[in-house]
Amino acid sequence: MSEFLRSYLTVGLFGALAVLVVGTFLGLSSLVRPTRPQPQKYINYESGVDPVGTGWSQANIRYYVFALLFVMFDVEAVFIFPWATRLEAYGLFGLVEMFIFIFILLLGLLYAWRKGVLRWI
Amino acid sequence: MTSTVTAFAQVADFARPPIDWHAVAPELVMLSVGALMIIIDIVKLERAKPYAAALSGLGFLAPLVPIATLAIDGVASEPRVMFGGAYVIDGYSLVLKALFLIVGYLVVLLATNYVGEGDYWETEFYNLLSASVLGMMVMASARDLITIFVALELLSIPAYLLAAWRKRDLKSNEAGLKYYLMGVFASSIMLYGMSLVFGVTGSTLLTEIGATLDDGIGSEPAVTLGIIFVIVGFAFKVSGFPFHTWAPDTYEGAPTPVTAFLAVASKAAGFVALMNLVVIGFVEREEVYQPVIFFIAAGSMFAGNFMALRQDNIVRLMAYSGVAQAGFLLAPLVVVGEGPEVAATAVSSIVTYLVIYAAMNLGVFAVILAVARKTKSGEISSYGGLFDYAPALAVLMTLFLASLGGLPPLGGWYAKFGIFRSLLEPGTGWGYTLAVIAAVNTVIAFGYYGKIASRMWFDAVPDDDRTRIVVPAALATALVLCIAGTIVSGVYPGAVTHFTDVELLAFR
Repeated sequence: MSEFLRSYLTVGLFGALAVLVVGTFLGLSSLVRPTRPQPQKYINYESGVDPVGTGWSQANIRYYVFALLFVMFDVEAVFIFPWATRLEAYGLFGLVEMFIFIFILLLGLLYAWRKGVLRWI
Repeated sequence: MTSTVTAFAQVADFARPPIDWHAVAPELVMLSVGALMIIIDIVKLERAKPYAAALSGLGFLAPLVPIATLAIDGVASEPRVMFGGAYVIDGYSLVLKALFLIVGYLVVLLATNYVGEGDYWETEFYNLLSASVLGMMVMASARDLITIFVALELLSIPAYLLAAWRKRDLKSNEAGLKYYLMGVFASSIMLYGMSLVFGVTGSTLLTEIGATLDDGIGSEPAVTLGIIFVIVGFAFKVSGFPFHTWAPDTYEGAPTPVTAFLAVASKAAGFVALMNLVVIGFVEREEVYQPVIFFIAAGSMFAGNFMALRQDNIVRLMAYSGVAQAGFLLAPLVVVGEGPEVAATAVSSIVTYLVIYAAMNLGVFAVILAVARKTKSGEISSYGGLFDYAPALAVLMTLFLASLGGLPPLGGWYAKFGIFRSLLEPGTGWGYTLAVIAAVNTVIAFGYYGKIASRMWFDAVPDDDRTRIVVPAALATALVLCIAGTIVSGVYPGAVTHFTDVELLAFR
């Protein structure tokens, strides 16, 4: 067996251990606990609120648009954090580069704003 | 702990990577044009609409200026290498960048009236088109797995959106969704393959991968699987058999200018990536990629041609014809392992084919768009009697179809000749077998190209509506450019091979 495949053995062992541990605890507790089934116990858990309607109901498309805009800021943050920690090393070059990057991403936000996406009707 | 310290020490010695601004000027110009178009859209909103197409057309022509200056500067003989070999600007990448830009320009010409007259978002359409072309330009220079992947996503994601552009049309939604799902599926398979190749060779640079595989390292099954997965991923992109099933549905549902773009530019970008990967990276692992590419190429030719014979819709027919043409384009990659000269012939024959294919295929789509302006239909039967009321379009369509079939003296003939030459030159069994299969398929293809031609020339007009077809100026320009390219490349192939006689070399 090559070194490459051998290192996956660790993954396999950990997986088996996880199944074993969880299985043991759940199995043991099911043996000792009392069973009193009630219909309320089988309702989907939705942050403590009783679920209304079906699971396939449509969500407002606006949430999707806001999620997309969030991704834009997320990507920005992912690149800005490591850059900010080493800003001194990168010097002026890094600063200019980051401003170009932010400018291009900002165009997306400006676009969304001008096209009226940010308005909640 | 010590490794962390050294890692920080390395960053502390950060030196600005040398950037050859002249060499990346085409991409930078394209990016600036895209940004400019967004800014104009932000500032002017609806008032920007009338200028969108013209501006985007100019935007596709502008990067040709730095490409020309780079060519004059002698990049073909002295390639510019950047980022440790991850980004190479040589004759090969320059000619492909020019091809993508010109195809982009022609697609703008095809789309101007279609998008302008339909109830579609205009500025966004052209923006996404230029983003996709920017991805293709990066792909032409990419010599690194990560760069190739980023370029692929940059060119694909706008294309998914463009395919679903007619958003109130269910067929277009289906087209976009199918293209997206298949594309993402292919991307994930390819990414898995790339990770396996990287895991074994320890580098993402294609030259390093090539050198490592050459040293005999990497005979593990993992690298075999990696190479196959990467090739399969791109086989989706170029709609090669048996991964072609998305193509007919997507082509039929997408707006016709977008179909033309997918059929020519997007497909060409897939071939560019395959050439980079196979000719530089995997070239020493002939025993792995040869049977895979042989199977995909032969299967594409047969499946594409036989399915095309049965089609009633012209766009679906062109989709299957594109699958068959993809088989032709893949064929020379089977023999690239026979030596550097053979690889050079194969690469230049594929690039030549891509250039000529762009001219003739875009020409067909231009005629389809022009005819659909009157008939509002994509059925082949609606082409009945086209010669009666639109003789010029019928003649042009016949020329384009004859060229696709490979009749001399049109461009398609020379393109096919190049493929046959590169298959027969090394004198191997794989090459001979594939050449025979290609020859058989050339004959089959005349069946359906001839079917359309006979409808136009011999059938009666189906609804007796003989109103003349008014071809808008933009579409007419595209038709003239395409027919000029198709005829010139056949009568005087030197005009094309002067540019496409390029080599794909490994640089460090």
